[in-house]
Amino acid sequence: MSITQLSDVAGLALLPAGLQDGLPPDAAHEAALVEQMIATLAGYGYERVKPPLLEFEDSLLAGPGEQVAQQTFRLMDPISQRMMGLRADMTPQVARIAASRLGRAPRPLRLCYAGEVLRVRGNQLRPERQFAQVGAELLGSDAPAADAEVVRLAADALQSLGLKSLSIDLSLPTLVGGLLADLHITEDAGRALRSALDRKDAAAVHAAAGDSAPLFDGLLRAVGPVGKALPALQALDLPEAARREVAGLAQVVEQVAREAPELRLTVDPVEHRGYEYQTGLSFTLFATGVRGELGRGGRYAAIGAQGVEDRATGFTLFMDTLLRALPAVQRRKRVYLPIGTDPAQARGLRATGWVTVAGLEPVADPLAEAQRLQCGHLLQDGVLHEVENE
Amino acid sequence: MSESQPLVLALPKGRILKELLPLLAAAGIEPEPAFRDESARQLRFTTNIPGLDVVRVRSFDVATFVAFGAAQLGVAGNDVLMEFDYPELYAPVDLGIGYCRLAVAEPASLHAQDDPSRWSHIRIATKYPEVTRRHFARRGVQAECIKLNGAMELAPTLGLCRRIVDLVSTGSTLAANNLVEVETIAEVTSRLIVNRAALKTRPEEVGRWVEAFRECANAA
Repeated sequence: MSITQLSDVAGLALLPAGLQDGLPPDAAHEAALVEQMIATLAGYGYERVKPPLLEFEDSLLAGPGEQVAQQTFRLMDPISQRMMGLRADMTPQVARIAASRLGRAPRPLRLCYAGEVLRVRGNQLRPERQFAQVGAELLGSDAPAADAEVVRLAADALQSLGLKSLSIDLSLPTLVGGLLADLHITEDAGRALRSALDRKDAAAVHAAAGDSAPLFDGLLRAVGPVGKALPALQALDLPEAARREVAGLAQVVEQVAREAPELRLTVDPVEHRGYEYQTGLSFTLFATGVRGELGRGGRYAAIGAQGVEDRATGFTLFMDTLLRALPAVQRRKRVYLPIGTDPAQARGLRATGWVTVAGLEPVADPLAEAQRLQCGHLLQDGVLHEVENE
Repeated sequence: MSESQPLVLALPKGRILKELLPLLAAAGIEPEPAFRDESARQLRFTTNIPGLDVVRVRSFDVATFVAFGAAQLGVAGNDVLMEFDYPELYAPVDLGIGYCRLAVAEPASLHAQDDPSRWSHIRIATKYPEVTRRHFARRGVQAECIKLNGAMELAPTLGLCRRIVDLVSTGSTLAANNLVEVETIAEVTSRLIVNRAALKTRPEEVGRWVEAFRECANAA
């Protein structure tokens, strides 16, 4: 190949920032993981839905969708002349399906989904602008048992992939908002306080909270392993509404700990970033040594049928982070079949888990050919030979 | 991925490090002797605590190392935290060291006849383009930033641009260059910072150090 041709290929290979080609064996690995998780979700009665890639902007960005409005690619529909958005998150789509076409389906309604999403901007921690999501939504119940179910389900889906060292961080995103209102803290001071709490910046919290500094300081100290943080949170002198939220959290913690005692739970009552549209108990999934979040979930208000709000909770897992958290994939064992191999024998090999790679032309040295095609084995005269690969 | 992987504490080189050493000692952390040797080529050091290493990097890089989880703990000024605003960073303890301020400065001659309320666009030399842009945007002024990594005070004298945003502690460098401080953007101190995922996945170990530094900072 000449130099000009080479550079032409290189020019074609350049993709827009944050987009990439999935190659073997990673592409197959990701697809298998998605199917495995969907199977776990289906086992709990969550039925799969498949929303379209594009929707009209108004419906895509309604309700919880507003959160990703700035991250949504738009294009004009040449047919209807209306603006469409490319999904940046699938939860709003599933909530829309539940409210509209499945508005009459009995509640609680359990749905799951998997698909690619596209975002306008990556960030330093997640440069990917396109990645796959797998998730589940439980609509029509606000029982603590529903919160506990989705937490456990998310953990189960991840652990079914062999993920070790999972941590679940439980938060109450509406707690601080309620406190700010109860304590008559002005909007400006509230915003400064929120920002300081999000950064766990004790100095800034102290400066912004004024007379209420001890209370917010107490909240900051009620961050950590559930065994320490929850009692610390319960010991705080909180207003009635906040007390109820904490009691709800304790109920969910109790149920999750009973059903899945091996799970590591932490509590963070002040976390709010990324939870702006959550209306109750929410959670983020982490794994030791993995940068970023594996997924997140929590309670939100879905637009319900006839305008009645559906009390909903659910979670979304991010495949890009998840792939980083799992061990590298092993290729399945491959066997090279020289041309003329008996098809019945090839079928037999595939049936027992082999990947068969068929020769298309006669070759002088089948062993070398098997090696060249990255096959660990060669079938010659009906006998399997191991090929030495470097 | 196991719990036995060492925690890494990222510390800034230079000025802050001297103030930091007594705090480290109070928290019970003694880095190996080579750490105090400024000419050492070594970048990563063990400490008297098994499972805790320290690294010495530029102050801006502390935030980056910790945000990406390459180090779980670090010490950085809130000037750096404001500039990057990584969502993966928590700053749970104000260490009460490295006091200074982030300020706007300009030549004394300019200051005498300047009317900031008439600005729509200004040009500023700074190490903090994000903070500077945000600060002036809030006042409806577009700030065009020229990124410099040091010797900001030279910019006005050599005519690169007339204003700078820089850290000021005593103000003597400004005065020596005929600059006056016209506005404070933020008061700066050093903070203990932690990686969010590390705090969530290793809450006992990381939380223990947060607690230790909090006690030392309060006692100081």
